[in-house]
Amino acid sequence: MASVSTLHGGARLTADLQEKLKRKAFWVRQKVMEMAVRAGSGHISSAFSQTEMLVALYQGGILRCRPQEPRWSDRDRMVPSRGQGGIGFYPILADMGYFPLAELDNFCGEGSRLGVHMEWEVPGVEIISGSLGHGLPIATGMAQVALNEGKDYLVYCYLGDGELYEGSNWEAAFFAGKKRQHNLICIVDRNGQGVLGFTEGDGTSRDGPGIEPLDKKFEAFNFEVRVIDGHDYGQIYAALADVRTRKSDQPLAIIAKTLKGKGLSLMENQRMWHYRVPAADELQQALRELQLDPAAVAAPAGGKTAEGEQGE
Amino acid sequence: MAKTKYILGMRDAFFTALYPLFAANPKSVFVSADNGAPTLDCFGDNLKNQFYTVGIAEQQMIGMAAGFALEGYKAYAYAIAPFVTLRCYEITKLDVCAMNLPVVLVGVGAGYAYDIMGPTHHTVEDLTVMRVLPNLKIYSPADGICAGALAKITFEDPAPQYIRFDRAGISNVYPDEGTDFTQGLVPLRRGKDVCLIACGVMVHTALQVADQLRQRGIDAGVVDLFRIKPINTDRLLGELNGVKRVVTMEEHLLAGGMGSAVLEVLSDAGFVRPVLRIGQKDRFVFDMGGRKVIWKRYGLDSDSVTQRVADWCR
Repeated sequence: MASVSTLHGGARLTADLQEKLKRKAFWVRQKVMEMAVRAGSGHISSAFSQTEMLVALYQGGILRCRPQEPRWSDRDRMVPSRGQGGIGFYPILADMGYFPLAELDNFCGEGSRLGVHMEWEVPGVEIISGSLGHGLPIATGMAQVALNEGKDYLVYCYLGDGELYEGSNWEAAFFAGKKRQHNLICIVDRNGQGVLGFTEGDGTSRDGPGIEPLDKKFEAFNFEVRVIDGHDYGQIYAALADVRTRKSDQPLAIIAKTLKGKGLSLMENQRMWHYRVPAADELQQALRELQLDPAAVAAPAGGKTAEGEQGE
Repeated sequence: MAKTKYILGMRDAFFTALYPLFAANPKSVFVSADNGAPTLDCFGDNLKNQFYTVGIAEQQMIGMAAGFALEGYKAYAYAIAPFVTLRCYEITKLDVCAMNLPVVLVGVGAGYAYDIMGPTHHTVEDLTVMRVLPNLKIYSPADGICAGALAKITFEDPAPQYIRFDRAGISNVYPDEGTDFTQGLVPLRRGKDVCLIACGVMVHTALQVADQLRQRGIDAGVVDLFRIKPINTDRLLGELNGVKRVVTMEEHLLAGGMGSAVLEVLSDAGFVRPVLRIGQKDRFVFDMGGRKVIWKRYGLDSDSVTQRVADWCR
């Protein structure tokens, strides 16, 4: 467990660190699958698209934080606007020491504080989440406080690309760009998928109305934009290396191109996995690919089944 | 006790009383969705980093206020009443009420105050939708004296709160000093036959109705229920003790409004009396001609209410 992260921002990606992060990411995906199958719930594919980015931020020492002191006043704020990724945050937060690892085993169970969507009372979680388009307005308030008070903490807002259809994000972008909130970093998980279809799909009725050109949209709101492969540690570190030292007075938008369901062949970039838990043959395949013992997920903890459910 | 004098509107009385509290507390912030007031200019002019306008963007206004509040600030968010309530409702539900943050929503234009502006600007459903939000307190003052007192009350209370103001031009019900507004309601007049419970501008109407009823031999009391949530049930029951009938008066839809809230607490307390609710029925209002025309057409003016109550008491 990390006690105090000290690298923040200037972190260098050594070969050893990269190997460590790869192992962490694989472990996170294992835990997510375990938790989801036991609880019969959780957004697995959303968690898998964000894994490398969050592992780098937390276990890779980019984020300034004190897991033993979650509300430390100088911490970087991580505002999880995309609350659907909660099941993927929990293993990372637990591994960092925000709360005991054992709590992961009771995901969504009676007495647990870990639900499908993260609540602000969970150590390490800044806001209530689950409804989209809430994080960025809140983040602009936090960022403005830091600017006003001369504090050097950064405010990260973790956004899904699909939630950018919510107009509130752009209400906030007006403000952040105009107020030159250079301490605000939006990370967009650009997995290209919503619940039903793809944002830039082929025009079927299930595909969204399209988000591109996303970089130009943020630039028009006076953001600096960096587009990276969100599964590539080299690119993640390159994009975040100077977040504490860059001279720009613009907020930063990092568009991390990812794949929903990354790391599991049957789920990767496929439709209809937004809120589904593998069962039967799919489950067997998932367990094999993630090197999980079927016994580890055999005992349901009383969670409800998500079969047939869609939506957020 | 009525001492009618034309002074600042509720909104301006409130901002005037709020300003020194802001000046003394740098960790307070005011966010406007492109709404101003003469008494608001000094916030932005004099207080560094304590006043922001976000443009016509109510979601951003309230979300950002929540962000300030999470960082330890007292935050006020201000817009025309329908837009600070319904337009951005879910932001308030989750970011303010669910996280129980010290954010005060300030809306101007309660009821039909924006009379000739149509249903977009009429605010006759806000009490219904806002009072179901857990943790939220709701105020609907009747004059500038009460509104001014609410500056301190809301500033010192860390709960999420919503205040709805009328527009300017409302005379004062209360004397300049000496009224205790901490209990959520003020008895303005006592009468044994019927008690008129009113809020906002309808308090003025209720006082006229009470006068008119007296001329008809009906002894009517008036309670200004300016705090709609939580209702101070003990005090209210105390005022109703020994009164034969109860009337609620609101410039608001009857469905779920202040009258409904009163019925709920009376029912839960096992207090059984005939209750007549005066308010607007299930309709949008497009009528031009002004507020008095609307009141007259829909039975909210003092003559109509007096007649209705007198018939009901007969």
